[in-house]
Amino acid sequence: MRLRPRNVRSRLTLWYLLVLAGLLALYAGVASLFLFLSLREDFDQNLLEDLETVEEMLTKEPNGGVSLHSSHPDAAEPRIGHFIEVWSPQGALLYRSASLQDQALGSPPGPDEGLHDPTPSSARLPNGTRLRLASGIYHIEDQRIVLRVAYSQEALWRELREFGEVLLLGFPIAVLLAGFGGYALARRALSPIDLMATQAKTISAEKLGDRLSIENPEDELGKLGSVFNAMLGRLQAAFDQLRRFTADASHELRTPLTAIRSVGEVALQDQRSPAEYRDVIGSMLEEVDRLTRLAESLLALSRADAGHIQLLREDISLVRMGKEASSVVEVLAEEKRQQIDIEGDANLVVSVDRLILRQALVNLLDNAIKYSPAGSQILVRVQSGGDKQAYLEVIDQGPGIPREHQPHVFDRFFRVDKARTREWGGAGLGLSITRWAVEAHGGDITLKSEEGQGSTFRVSLPLAKVSSASPSKGGLQ
Amino acid sequence: MRVLVVEDEAKVARALREGLEREKYEVVVAPSGEEGFFLVNAEEFDLVLLDLMLPGRDGLQVLSTLRKRGLQTPVLILTARDAIEDRVEGLDKGADDYLVKPFAFPELLARVRALLRRGRTEQAVQLRLADLEMDAVTRKARRGGHQLDLTAREFELLEYLLRHKEQVVSREMLARYVWKETARATPLDNVMDVHINRLRRKVDEPFDRNLIHTVRGVGFVLREEE
Repeated sequence: MRLRPRNVRSRLTLWYLLVLAGLLALYAGVASLFLFLSLREDFDQNLLEDLETVEEMLTKEPNGGVSLHSSHPDAAEPRIGHFIEVWSPQGALLYRSASLQDQALGSPPGPDEGLHDPTPSSARLPNGTRLRLASGIYHIEDQRIVLRVAYSQEALWRELREFGEVLLLGFPIAVLLAGFGGYALARRALSPIDLMATQAKTISAEKLGDRLSIENPEDELGKLGSVFNAMLGRLQAAFDQLRRFTADASHELRTPLTAIRSVGEVALQDQRSPAEYRDVIGSMLEEVDRLTRLAESLLALSRADAGHIQLLREDISLVRMGKEASSVVEVLAEEKRQQIDIEGDANLVVSVDRLILRQALVNLLDNAIKYSPAGSQILVRVQSGGDKQAYLEVIDQGPGIPREHQPHVFDRFFRVDKARTREWGGAGLGLSITRWAVEAHGGDITLKSEEGQGSTFRVSLPLAKVSSASPSKGGLQ
Repeated sequence: MRVLVVEDEAKVARALREGLEREKYEVVVAPSGEEGFFLVNAEEFDLVLLDLMLPGRDGLQVLSTLRKRGLQTPVLILTARDAIEDRVEGLDKGADDYLVKPFAFPELLARVRALLRRGRTEQAVQLRLADLEMDAVTRKARRGGHQLDLTAREFELLEYLLRHKEQVVSREMLARYVWKETARATPLDNVMDVHINRLRRKVDEPFDRNLIHTVRGVGFVLREEE
């Protein structure tokens, strides 16, 4: 099983400690190394000086040996840890200090030993004592000798070990303290998350009005909290919309259901002629038709919401789309002696699903015809909106839409005048379907209206990518 | 002609039976997928009306099993689901046609007739009812020897009614076949009413007998008797 701390806090602390321990170890290593090197340099310096001193103290014995003769009485025998050997170049041992206790400072000298400037090197006595050793070639009177002087390094190593021990002793304490500190710091820094989690747990679909409390909106966690709150806001708006939608939908369903029910119940109360029954059933069927259409519209919208509708795009001139839509409803305009005029640049080509966009435009024109007075003009104007956009405006001479209603005209089930629109059989879904259709094509729809001065619905759509305004498609038919 | 109706909703099944029997079809109703499956295997039918949401065995399962066994009987699917994927799946599994609930009965009858006629789909060029005549190729219509002056849409409307003479045609059928409008949410009712009124003015008003009749709540029909 891998050891992996469960929470961020412990993980952070652990990482922090690992890094800290690594750094401390590195520091201790480097410090010890430098200490050692600097101590040894002093040591070597002394050694080389001693080599000179000892050379001066050597005297030749008559028997061919060599003895150490000191001008200072107390230095007659070198200090403990001070080892001396004198060899003849032929490899005969001429002198060995007593401190060596008959141990050899290495093998007899080779032909090269001491030829160069004396440089200290490390060596070891057979009993394990670590040494620094320097050697040189000298002459006593006429005799060539090889002089070896060595110091025990044990004191230096002890010093280094003590230094290391002090460091090691401090190491766990430092790490432990840093760990506590780091953990406390991490906990403090992360505490808003715990708070947010606790608060978030209590927020449910029924309590979407609640928000997370944020200590400092500027820091990272504060931003996270703000993002969550914004998301909650959107969710709440969506839920509210859904609730309103459901309420409106059931209200819309209730109306035809009531009609069916009362028409049926009243008809059953007494005997009637077959013709009358026929009439009653026909009337009920009309309401059924309305229900069917409503169910159909709701389904279309919910499928649109779910993004289930695929657009079968083709490149088509926007003017031609306007004409197609108007050809569907122009009889209605004719009945009211209204005139639908279409003007604009026929070369503005959009890439759209023809059926879906036509439905959207038919809805707009249908509205314009319904709400405009008899004999008025309805203008469909197609314009360029820069390099990437084209506008199609439906301009009527109707009564206009009061300013307070304008933001809601695209809402589902919205009607400016509830009573009036009912007689037209509309459920107030036409414009929301239109808006969906336009937005599905990457466009948008806006309304400009002054009371008493008509309304202008402007659909803006992105132009088709490749301007394939071929005369066959883009031209007027 | 024998028609098997596989439908679990008793009211709908009964309406289908009565409506089809009235058109002189012999109707057998199976209230579950299993029973429908059994009946199709045991007896001969000219057409199967299959509800997709059935208890026991799903309609699509029944259909694909039948098709795997090599059954050739035309199948018309009835369903409340009309997402395109469902439609495609139904047709993939071997359905011949598809009708979404709630459907208009005239449309059901039209589809049933079309499926039973399958294989011999000659489209008449000369259409006639009483003293109304129409040539679908030259696009000329006459009544009582008088040329009728019709717009393109009016002609298509009259042609559709005439091809389905003596059968009630629903608004949905007109929307789909005359206006080529697939979405039922489009507000075409007013448009249709205006066109029918204009057609009446041209086809019926100058003559003493009306041919275009409104069946309230259902649709329109072209027939001789009042």
